[in-house]
Amino acid sequence: MRGIGLDIGSRTIKLVVCDNAGISVKRKEVNTYDPLALCREMLRGMDGGRIIATGYGRHLLKAYVPCETVSEIKAFARGATALHGPCRTILDIGGQDTKAISLDGTGKIVKFQMNDKCAAGTGRFLEIMATALGLSLEDFMNAAGSAERPEAVNSMCTVFAESEVISMIARGSSRPGIALGIHQSVAKRAVSLLGKVTVRDDVVFAGGVALNPCMRSQIEEHLGRSLVVPEDPQIVGALGCALMASDS
Amino acid sequence: MPFNRTDVVHVINDEFAGEATKRVLQYIQTKRMAGRPVAGIYCGYAPMEIIRAAGAVPAILCAFANKTIPPAEAVLPANLCPLIKSSYGFIITDTCPFFGLSDAVIAETTCDGKKKMFELISHYKPMHVMDLPQLPDEEEARRNWAAMIRKVGSFLEKTFDCRLSDDRIEEELRATNRKNRLMRRIYDYSAGTPPVLSWEESYELGLFAQVASTEDAVPVLEAAINTLEKRVSQGIHCGRKEAPRVLVTGCPLGGDSLKVYRIIEEAGGVVTAMDACTGMKAFMTDFEEGTDDPIAAIARRYLTLPCSCMTPNLKRLEATDGLIDRFRPDVVIDAVLHACHSYNVESFKIMNHVKERHGIPFLKIETDYSDGDTEQIRTRVEALFDSLG
Repeated sequence: MRGIGLDIGSRTIKLVVCDNAGISVKRKEVNTYDPLALCREMLRGMDGGRIIATGYGRHLLKAYVPCETVSEIKAFARGATALHGPCRTILDIGGQDTKAISLDGTGKIVKFQMNDKCAAGTGRFLEIMATALGLSLEDFMNAAGSAERPEAVNSMCTVFAESEVISMIARGSSRPGIALGIHQSVAKRAVSLLGKVTVRDDVVFAGGVALNPCMRSQIEEHLGRSLVVPEDPQIVGALGCALMASDS
Repeated sequence: MPFNRTDVVHVINDEFAGEATKRVLQYIQTKRMAGRPVAGIYCGYAPMEIIRAAGAVPAILCAFANKTIPPAEAVLPANLCPLIKSSYGFIITDTCPFFGLSDAVIAETTCDGKKKMFELISHYKPMHVMDLPQLPDEEEARRNWAAMIRKVGSFLEKTFDCRLSDDRIEEELRATNRKNRLMRRIYDYSAGTPPVLSWEESYELGLFAQVASTEDAVPVLEAAINTLEKRVSQGIHCGRKEAPRVLVTGCPLGGDSLKVYRIIEEAGGVVTAMDACTGMKAFMTDFEEGTDDPIAAIARRYLTLPCSCMTPNLKRLEATDGLIDRFRPDVVIDAVLHACHSYNVESFKIMNHVKERHGIPFLKIETDYSDGDTEQIRTRVEALFDSLG
């Protein structure tokens, strides 16, 4: 049975289509002020197949398009274990939220923690800081990777951290150092969130922020464990949905 | 609609069906017009039996609207329990009709926030603050609470120009026991699979039963039991048969914070038990009858109320065990209000107890009265249900 999975996130919408042969379609679009229209556009031409949606926009879609919904927790649990069988812990840092999930040996959800009330420690935080440093996200990532020494950023709040960064630039602190300091802030928050669930190997790092190698190494350092990053970490939720949709 | 049919007769079939607060307001207004004084209260530890023995009617003061929080925040810090802010906001905007009707206010030193807020409202109406002990199992605590109950009794005698007697107090505690037994029978209808009593109806009944005298409550509760029995025979029930059964524990929820129960229902769950002072807590334990010191009996029973302001509050774990055995929840949700440190810290113990002793999935929700976190709560509740496999 063909399964169509949609992860309607705050920053991006991910679509995955699965059938017996595996993943046949994979697509990511930047979300707009009209997520429903974007979903419809992404689903165009996809006749036949069950649709399962997750993410913050799932109920909106359900009101207009015949589909089922699951929580992101369940979608990520299914997607992560499909991509990496021995997964027992999932860390997802997305555009505007972060989650930590622990699974038992059969892939069942044991515990989960979410931060979806505050931008600190999310992709948005990194975007804002990159802009404050006058860098593209990629340059920001590379600068952090190349820094000799981190310049600690103390504010937890995105808005106050931005002010703090601007003051540091004015004081002449090194931009790569600040970039690394910001990465460390996010890494510490992620590790703190993981501390509230049971962390067991293997730990899968998913979400758009997992594409950032500096973030990966910072989390590994602060967590004291290595992370497994899937080839396409952003589609984990949509993949989980597509797989559940294709289960007969 | 929570039921499997649309033509369901409401469990309190009067003109206030679905309007819990209006019903009790009319009740209190009627009593006051008939000459009974009104004692405003905020808390489950307020000794209702003394209030009634003094010939007065208790009025649960407003504490559950988000609307009164902005005016309150002109004085109170934003980082404070919404229940406290809302209560205070109602007083300073003069929008709590129950406070308006109150001839006196009884308060308790339950938590820091409340204690200090009471100082700011003590000039509006005659107010008496009771010093609630926080190690309830100590002998001294029971003696002290009995002393506090005698003191509030003197306050009521003076303020309402009446006389209290041990006989009247004994009568009232027996009356409460009769009422509590009826309420516990009603809760049996939430314990079935699936339940035949909705959480909204349970909430309405509980509110009415707390305020109304036993004499006035009995006909309403007995009629409710008849209605519920009929539902059982007609196969009417709440939610789908496979709906996850939820025990909600924690802080008192009402008004705008009823969103927690609503979201659970929208997510496909069924609330079988509301373990809060706005829910079942008041009705679960009886007073000892026929002692030679009814005030001491009252003190002992009130100190068994498992609020997180008590320490180490092992009674809460016992109560939770009892509720789990009786209501057989699939999940436990601990609803903690923002800045409620005692319930928040205690949540860790409840989580461990529920998971280790009962193997039941657990979720803590920290929330306030705004509707801004509705989707976040929904995602968590859905994920909790998803984790049931």
